[in-house]
Amino acid sequence: MQNTVSKSQVMADHTVTVSRLEEVVSTADEFDRVVSQALPVLLDRATGYTKRFLRETGQWNDDIEHEKFALRWGSEYLERFLVCGRTEVPCRPLFLFDSLVAKQHSKPEPFCYHPDLLRPLGRFLDGLVARAVVSRDALIALYHHSYGWGPGEVIAATGLNGLESQRIYKNFRRWRDSGWQRTMDEMGLTKAELAELSSQQQRHRQRFNSEGERLIRVAQAHYRKSEPDHYPCLSRSQWREMFTQGYGCDYRIWHLALCLDCVQTAWGLGSNGSLTEEKPRLELQVRP
Amino acid sequence: MGYEEDLETYRSQRLQSLSSQPSRSVRGGSDPIQVYVNERRVGELEGVGVDATLHVKNLEHIETIQLRTEDGTLLGGLVAPEYGYRTSRIQVSSDAVELCVHNTAQGGALNAAFVPAPSYWSRTWKALADVADRLAIRRPDTAIAHSMRTIAFTQALLAILVVGLVVDRMAIWMSPERMLASVGQPEALRTVSVTEMEKVERQLGELARIQEKVGTALETQQKGMAQLHQTMAKLSSSHESVASSVVMVKEEMEKRQEGSETDRPIQRPVSDFVQKEQLEAAIKSLTVDNARLSNELARLEEHNQTLSAKLQTASVNASKAVAQNPERLLASQPDVESKNQSVQAAESSQNSQTQPFLFWVTFSDGTSQERIDQWVHEKNGRKGAVNEGWQEVRIVPPAVPPDLFLEQIRGEKIVKAARIRE
Ligand SMILES: [Zn+2]
Repeated sequence: MQNTVSKSQVMADHTVTVSRLEEVVSTADEFDRVVSQALPVLLDRATGYTKRFLRETGQWNDDIEHEKFALRWGSEYLERFLVCGRTEVPCRPLFLFDSLVAKQHSKPEPFCYHPDLLRPLGRFLDGLVARAVVSRDALIALYHHSYGWGPGEVIAATGLNGLESQRIYKNFRRWRDSGWQRTMDEMGLTKAELAELSSQQQRHRQRFNSEGERLIRVAQAHYRKSEPDHYPCLSRSQWREMFTQGYGCDYRIWHLALCLDCVQTAWGLGSNGSLTEEKPRLELQVRP
Repeated sequence: MGYEEDLETYRSQRLQSLSSQPSRSVRGGSDPIQVYVNERRVGELEGVGVDATLHVKNLEHIETIQLRTEDGTLLGGLVAPEYGYRTSRIQVSSDAVELCVHNTAQGGALNAAFVPAPSYWSRTWKALADVADRLAIRRPDTAIAHSMRTIAFTQALLAILVVGLVVDRMAIWMSPERMLASVGQPEALRTVSVTEMEKVERQLGELARIQEKVGTALETQQKGMAQLHQTMAKLSSSHESVASSVVMVKEEMEKRQEGSETDRPIQRPVSDFVQKEQLEAAIKSLTVDNARLSNELARLEEHNQTLSAKLQTASVNASKAVAQNPERLLASQPDVESKNQSVQAAESSQNSQTQPFLFWVTFSDGTSQERIDQWVHEKNGRKGAVNEGWQEVRIVPPAVPPDLFLEQIRGEKIVKAARIRE
């Protein structure tokens, strides 16, 4: 009985919020105020749109993995709306929000969908690589999670100079302090799931790594598209020139973190002999 | 059950993270700000307290611009208009980033500038500049807002020179501690003596006149700057095209290198091929020759066999002939030689010429001398000496071995005994 009352109350609140969102807001502050009160409504709305998109494209399944996936992207859209919408005033927030989500879904590949990426290991890797696209900390951490490297090895493998090296140490520290946990939260990975992944890493290393390699390739291929257009795969001689001439620092850091093959191709070019001759193999690390 | 709970936990976590967005940033003071266009990273703005700028020319339409920290926190963003300009100032803690996006049919362009937070001193300067601004002439109808800001900043700079003067004077009669405390507080100015204030006002009047000149100078300068920017843009695009053609040339060279590398192996096989062909031809002809040779050999062998067979037959025939007709054999010596039927015969005929076969014989009792002479004649032989009944006979050496020959003779009716030695 009480449940019904609270439910109808929620419905009423919902209607009020929605109607307020349909009205014009004229300043950025007003936008912030109105929208911050309507976060649950907007999140559910974006999640609903994402579910519908998945259903219509034959990518939906009635399970928690798909629910989480839709929720994840719903919140991603909402985050973008929160920062971009305030520059659009005067506007009707709800319509702006709908158009923003529709725009996302009209893109050829709005997100990296693969059924195997919805399982814990897939979600873990998808989360890491997706985060690497928007966070330099996560990008640098990708070297650690893929090969088990520390800052020194990253610096050697990418052939960085002194100034850039300092940044790498910072990236590592921030990732350990907060970045990793935030990414795991974003992906909805529970403590139990992470513990299970850690134990798989320890007990069935070979299987864990080979499965990880298959999945990380799927994710990398998708997210590498968010690199600048002029960052394609290179030949060994092209990499060598970049390393020896000392240019393309960004190129090296970005592409090598997101391409298993080019790490093999460019292996040893920036190290001045401080790296082992043996090419690196994927050694997935769950913990930062 | 666990399903719903898990999902609800995740949902509330997401909501919490969204509502606490601004305070989440852990951007260090000097960390660069990452700039994204259409959700692609295009570069970064140095955030080390200096004015940093980023110019992005996009071939495609610019839809969104996002600013992020190195840890990925979304600091701010902008949705670009379909066509035309949009500017926005995004506050990043105490600093700010000024964005100006321009979409045309040819594509989009973005100018981003990092505006560091004014320091304590610069805030002081600004406060004083406002005073100076009030005292000086106002220029409300100046065309571009940006140039207004620049002029205002110049005003502030000039004003600070004046304030520097004031502070200089004040320092003479103020204690250091008091000075520190008073700096930045306009009230401190009130304590300055009237004469000093008059001086300052006079200087400010002069300043205003200078400002006017500076203003016009700045405007021309800005026009020059705009031109410079255009030139720079052109230069950078031509630089880009040069760079891309360099890349193309490099690729071309690499291709050529690869090409020449692959050409060589092709040429090598060509000569190799020719040689191989020749070799093969040689081998083939050799094989043919070999076959011919072995045919020849086989034929020769066959021939040889025939010859040996003939030889055997000939031997037998010869022996028969000798046995049957030794006289004929002796008589027709040259004939035998020419026929070459038997080497042995030839040899014996040759020997016969030099050494006749000599044997002793006794005849059966009652054989007449006439009969004996006839027999010797039949054997193509000649009678020699007679010793104790034994008659010596010389003949052409027989074709058969002597023992056999003697046996044959002994078998004859007329002969009683035969022997070789005496
Ligand atoms: Zn690559």
